[in-house]
Amino acid sequence: MTRDPAREGRVVLALGRRALSVQFRRAQLLMPTFVLPLMLLAVIASGTSAARGLREFPDVASYLGFVVPGTIIQGALLAGLTSGTALAGDIEGGFFDRLLAAPVNRTSLVLGRLAGTLGLALLQSTLFLAIAWIFGARYPGGAGAVLATIALAAITAVAIGGVASAIALRTGSLSLMQSIFPFVFVLLFMAPAFFPRELLVPVLRDAAVYNPLTYVVEAVRGLLQAEPALGDPLAGVVAAVGLALATVALATLALKDRLRRL
Amino acid sequence: MIGSDTAVEVRGLVRDFGKVRAVDGLDLEVHEGEIYGFLGPNGAGKSTTVRILVTLLRPSGGWARVAGHDVVRDADAVRRSIGVALQEAAIDPLMTGRELLRMQGALHGLRSAAARERAEALLRRVGLTEAADRRVGGYSGGMRRRLDLALALVHRPAVLFLDEPTTGLDPTSRLALWREVRALNDEGTTVFLTTQYMEEAEQLADRVGIISKGKLVAEGAPDDLKARVGEPTVQVEVADAADAPRARQALAALGTIDPPLEADPARVAVRTRAGAAAIAPIVRVLDEHAIAVESVEVETPTLDDVFLEVTGSHLEGAGQPAAEVAG
Repeated sequence: MTRDPAREGRVVLALGRRALSVQFRRAQLLMPTFVLPLMLLAVIASGTSAARGLREFPDVASYLGFVVPGTIIQGALLAGLTSGTALAGDIEGGFFDRLLAAPVNRTSLVLGRLAGTLGLALLQSTLFLAIAWIFGARYPGGAGAVLATIALAAITAVAIGGVASAIALRTGSLSLMQSIFPFVFVLLFMAPAFFPRELLVPVLRDAAVYNPLTYVVEAVRGLLQAEPALGDPLAGVVAAVGLALATVALATLALKDRLRRL
Repeated sequence: MIGSDTAVEVRGLVRDFGKVRAVDGLDLEVHEGEIYGFLGPNGAGKSTTVRILVTLLRPSGGWARVAGHDVVRDADAVRRSIGVALQEAAIDPLMTGRELLRMQGALHGLRSAAARERAEALLRRVGLTEAADRRVGGYSGGMRRRLDLALALVHRPAVLFLDEPTTGLDPTSRLALWREVRALNDEGTTVFLTTQYMEEAEQLADRVGIISKGKLVAEGAPDDLKARVGEPTVQVEVADAADAPRARQALAALGTIDPPLEADPARVAVRTRAGAAAIAPIVRVLDEHAIAVESVEVETPTLDDVFLEVTGSHLEGAGQPAAEVAG
């Protein structure tokens, strides 16, 4: 049947607003999305800054400025994953049934959840960049680079949220979603999140080529440091947008499959 | 073709979960503007039926139409016509009542201002205005049910599905919810209500469908159903047991007299359709025959008696033989 796009837009906004506001009321979701990445940033920035002296380490304005893209991508990963966790919670708790019983496009239910993820990632990456700046990180790329970084982080979060939502919709299991959290770190360390690709061990360096996050984190680094040699922004955009489109489609298919199995 | 005054029509509805058949060839009809009580014990298939009717489950066989729309082929039109309050009030405990109502308004296509206005009106209606900005996690069971009802009414549905709306509520909250359901029905809303409480079905429903093991085993107005299993009995206890035979003779014209009980010789049992209305004539006749009366009470068949008659089990704890339940 024909849908009114404005009406579906209102649905997506309402669901996104709900997802975001609930996120800030649930301590167990705030901890991984805001506190954990900042803790890891503090540990990496203070504990591994000696890496800057290595021959392969690029010449950057500040070590903190070099590693903060890793934190931003980690935040985006966790924001995306928590959207899957929250969705699984809605399914287990029955709230998702309330949404299914409403006369809305099924795709809007997925997009509404991911709109919340997008909002969360925008807030999160802005905060991370600001805190890192307060502690001495500098962004030679300027305000445009900062805005582009925030946008890339948000798209990446949506991409990961798409995968997480697909898993949540397939399984409907909150405990399974929670058990996936450690894989975030596997993905993160299989990308040059905190070290240049040249300093990764050969196995990780080879794997990083196939990890879309590699191109996103390098693009952010290149943008913030105004140094194209550190990362190609276009490759980052292609990787993030391509991944987001694919995973949102995956989540939509997972929902349709779930509804077929009802 | 569905009748113009039919709000819900179900024919040969089947739902299997693996090898378990939860709904087994169900046929029923709910007329526009009535309160239909769907009564049965836990596990009888009530909630499965409701979930099919509100498009949350697909039937394995048969078909169902709600507000004239097929629940599978035209699910979206069904969703626009119905309000749903499911068994476990699935309400996000971290949201406030006002937020939930506004979100529900958006889900049903209301613009922001209209959703806000409707939310305020419904909060007033269910008496939650003062608690509107509190998180639902802090609401009592009764408040959650009232909010759930308000959420189901946001878009002024033609048919309202209430799945065990008062389970777990205290008597005061239950009565308040009953009042609200009656008021909604008076305004023209058709109500499909599942319950495991006989009293609820008797108090609220115009017609009752009794479901057992996925099948509809009896259907009709509560009084008609009860009349099928027997007439009300007026139990008279005469002051002097020696007067009992005379009393039976005198009252024979007012109803069917049960045989005397050896254990209770002063008791005279008169079966009559008139029920409580027969008390005055009975007392008058006994007075005319100078027979002193100790007490009079009316025993009416319950829906549990109906359930027992058609299934061999009591409604509470169905699945167990009647004797076991009684014991």
